[in-house]
Amino acid sequence: MTVGSPLAARDLELGMVFQDLRLVPAFTVWENVALHLRETGRILRPRQLQQVVRDASERYGLAVDPGARVSDLSIGEWQRVELLKVLLAGARVLILDEPTSVLTPQEVDGLFAVLRRLREDGAGIVIITHKMRDVREIADRVTVLRAGRVVVGDRLASSMTDDELVQAMVGESVVPVINQQPSPPETTPAIELRDVALAGIGEGSGLRGLDLTVAPGEILGVAGVAGNGQRELADLIAGALAPDRGEIVVGGKSMTGSGPKAFRRAGVVNVVGDPVRDFVVPGLSVGEHAALWGSMTSRRRLRFDVGAAATAITADADRSGLDIVAPTRRLALLSGGNIQRVLLTLAFSEDATVLVVSYPTRGLDVRTTETTRSLLLAARDAGRAVVLISEDLDELLALSDRIAVLAHGRCTGVVERRSTDRRALGHLMTADAA
Amino acid sequence: MSTTAQHTLPERAPGSGRRNAGLARVDWRRVAIVLGAYFGCLILFGAVVALKGASPTGVYNSLIHSALLGDGSLSEVIVRAVPIALAALAVSVPAKAGLVNVGGEGQLIVGAIAASGIGVFISGGLPGPVGWVLMAVGGMAAGALWAGIPAVLRTGLSANEAVTTLLMNFVANDLMLYLIYQPWKDPTGGGQPQSSPLPGGDVLPSILGSTINLAAVVALVVAIGVWGLLKRTGFGFALRVVGGNQKAAHRAGLPVNRLMVSSMLVGGALAGLGGMLNLAGSQIQLVPGGTATYGYIGFLAAFLGRHDPLKVVLAALVFSAIAIGNSGLELNYGLDGSVVDVLLALLVVAPLWLSRNRKEAF
Amino acid sequence: MNGLQQALAGGVESGTVILFPALGELIGERAGIVNLGSEGCMLAGALAAYALTAETGSPVLGVFVGAAAGALIGMAHAYLVVRRRADQLASGLVMWFLAVGLTAVLGAAFVSRTATPLEVVKIPLLGSIPGLGPILFDHDPLVYLGYALVPLVWWILFRTRAGLVLRATGERPEVVAVAGRRPELIQIAAVSIGAALAGVGGAQLSVGYVDNWFDDMTNGYGFVAVAVVLFAAWRPLWVLFGSYLFGVALASASVLQAHGVAVNQYLLDALPYLVTIVVLVAVARRGSNQAPEGVTRALTNTS
Repeated sequence: MTVGSPLAARDLELGMVFQDLRLVPAFTVWENVALHLRETGRILRPRQLQQVVRDASERYGLAVDPGARVSDLSIGEWQRVELLKVLLAGARVLILDEPTSVLTPQEVDGLFAVLRRLREDGAGIVIITHKMRDVREIADRVTVLRAGRVVVGDRLASSMTDDELVQAMVGESVVPVINQQPSPPETTPAIELRDVALAGIGEGSGLRGLDLTVAPGEILGVAGVAGNGQRELADLIAGALAPDRGEIVVGGKSMTGSGPKAFRRAGVVNVVGDPVRDFVVPGLSVGEHAALWGSMTSRRRLRFDVGAAATAITADADRSGLDIVAPTRRLALLSGGNIQRVLLTLAFSEDATVLVVSYPTRGLDVRTTETTRSLLLAARDAGRAVVLISEDLDELLALSDRIAVLAHGRCTGVVERRSTDRRALGHLMTADAA
Repeated sequence: MSTTAQHTLPERAPGSGRRNAGLARVDWRRVAIVLGAYFGCLILFGAVVALKGASPTGVYNSLIHSALLGDGSLSEVIVRAVPIALAALAVSVPAKAGLVNVGGEGQLIVGAIAASGIGVFISGGLPGPVGWVLMAVGGMAAGALWAGIPAVLRTGLSANEAVTTLLMNFVANDLMLYLIYQPWKDPTGGGQPQSSPLPGGDVLPSILGSTINLAAVVALVVAIGVWGLLKRTGFGFALRVVGGNQKAAHRAGLPVNRLMVSSMLVGGALAGLGGMLNLAGSQIQLVPGGTATYGYIGFLAAFLGRHDPLKVVLAALVFSAIAIGNSGLELNYGLDGSVVDVLLALLVVAPLWLSRNRKEAF
Repeated sequence: MNGLQQALAGGVESGTVILFPALGELIGERAGIVNLGSEGCMLAGALAAYALTAETGSPVLGVFVGAAAGALIGMAHAYLVVRRRADQLASGLVMWFLAVGLTAVLGAAFVSRTATPLEVVKIPLLGSIPGLGPILFDHDPLVYLGYALVPLVWWILFRTRAGLVLRATGERPEVVAVAGRRPELIQIAAVSIGAALAGVGGAQLSVGYVDNWFDDMTNGYGFVAVAVVLFAAWRPLWVLFGSYLFGVALASASVLQAHGVAVNQYLLDALPYLVTIVVLVAVARRGSNQAPEGVTRALTNTS
């Protein structure tokens, strides 16, 4: 059977919850729900629709405020709205694409509780995930896909070991890279944030007074659900934004009033979390991006040496083991993974004192992910201070020396990697920062 | 717009990306589509004039005659192309930085106003070249000011520059009308709304014994200069970065707002120079409609030339050739001269219609 | 009537010329499409309405044909930007240019013709309210249609399913597609309806306010309408205020002149555009946050 269109899917009572969450941010919750309901008439009755949403959210245990603007909600709430929408449209078969990747462990528990209730009501649920933990917790049966082919077809989840599943997923055994060094001794911090505050960008919460220090030769992991101040933190450390209040000190020098160029000269190198938004310039080649990158440390204004930069980036890529495409290719036309490798090559080629890295392995294949992680550890061993922002708690636990947790724009705790685990981090991520 | 999934499959080994094998091969299907689109526009225009009872073949004959075959028509094309080309470059330079300058018309007008003021009231007694330079500098400064205001409003107060530059055109036109109806009115003009003519020494001389004047040479040099500025300097590269991705430009330490404003200043200065050259080269005095929508035609030419300075100049020449056909059509077929605007617009509809094919070609 | 009343009454009359295209532009932009060609739609509407009125003697018929003429230009624009993915600003300007040429050619025959204008209808009772009556309730019917249209457009956009889908299209067309609707058709319909309203605005100009036809008579009002929508932050009621503000600036020029104030006419003519720029600048920052995502994309995207 083939399903020709989203409409046809709905007639079959199929509901899909996408990873990128198909909601209109400028709309309220009830407007988003109404958009997908066919039963409401031509004229909208806001009060009645809000009641429908309220009733449903009680019935399924999905707490949301029907009158709230979606852009003001947290990512977990977005997902609940998306689920409500699909359920109210009458779906009996739900397909969820990576539903847990953006949630805290506690939110995942909540989601799974809802899914179990739905299963008991007789709904069929398909979860697409790359996390072993999800499979173990919720799945009755498993199918593994790799490179577009079915490698394991419809087995009982309980009949497979973790190792078998991993083997099936990656197709080769991967030795995970783990930070095994002891934490560095106390020294003067490479970078220091003193009571830094900043209003939120877009859907982010902003920062409400943050104190952080990172020592040379240390990896500070930053955990938290997306939108709790990570983007603002990275932008502040990179000098892309100036704090409303507080002070940033790099290598003992206050950076108040400095722009990205001054931060870079002070040794701060930034791997942005969303390269397409913040790094890729349409129309420019890889080599031209390298020249632009290099111009930051040059003394002469508006001088760009594309030829030399292209040669240099090719050599750097060879050295770091990150394969990149030919420098003449246009960056904007490349895949996310290829773009990320170019960005990482540039970042690791620099003699940085502080490396700010957001979601470095997003969109990378298994092998490049491990290369990137070893490069991060190598940078640490070479005495650089690394700030690693990630939503992947496993990655943070594998690489960091210390982990700082952000919630609602505040730091709810800084913990030693050795003395913490996922649960503890999850509690800090959902801690009430008020 | 679909977001790329966060966890993509392992990618093919980099470097193995295949080069487009058919770079040298001509895609005949595409050529046919492009030619067909432009041909379709010509047919549409034929239909429009036929609607008014004129013979399409006769109209096209008349257009070709006035543009290419008539006495001195080639030099006339070049003379008229000067303000169009400069107004078009005034669009292209800010476009590199991601700004939409629809204010070429107003910038031409204030350039002409400044040049006229300098020519009539200041530089009369000075030797020619000094007067020319003074007028050119004045025109460029006025144009830069006229474009700079919307630029600052955009970078400082995020007022959309496409809309403000457009509105500034009407202000410029009213300003000129005010001047030529009252304070600057030509006392010897028999009551006509026009400014006093430039003193003879300020008028740009003809070259090579033709009707082409010095303005064409200046425009050509400036166009080459703009080409060099955009393609060969760090400034041009930085503009492309800002136009491509402002956030990336900021993170790379480029002074984004300064670059955006300077691109508009350069653009405005180019159009202001165009207004000055048009005045000192052919108009001699300010008259209502003296810029004859060259500013808007320039916008279309810039779009047709896809903001590549040399292609833009070529497009300006083509548009100039079409624009001068109006008098012939008015005389021989009783068509309103503005009918050529229809043809100009249709010639830009073709690439707009082709936008989709172009994106697929990448 | 004293000068102030005259200026305000004139402002309502001429503000209606802006109100229709501005409401039309609002509908199109709520669906994510900017139409700089509304200037061209107005021109086409003005000529078509005037020509039909001159030929048939019925200005009402003229208004309908004016709307149709505007819609035609709008459809061409919508087709190019929606189906052919053309640059919105460039396409809009080309539509304007096309309309300038076409109306000059086709309208040459009507330049010196006379036509019966829309009749002024004084509303009983309301029209006799001292002070307010002459300002608000002594106009041609299109002015009253304008009063009714503002709440109607608001109601359709914010209280009907069609409006909800239209607004969603302007924000996230892919969400609308997932909901099983066709965003491209919605955009084309929205732009066409908006352009029809621009055509009505042109008709109000030629057979209502000025009662004449001449080349390029819209004089940038269509562009002003686009600016009004920007500073109204896409809200119908604010579009009403913005349009009347421009109308008052426009009308005060002639009122001042009539009262013998010795200011040059052309300086006064520039006033409405300056007012528009100033207001646009004053509220631009707040407004840009309210913009439908599709409009933000169109206005910041470059070719």
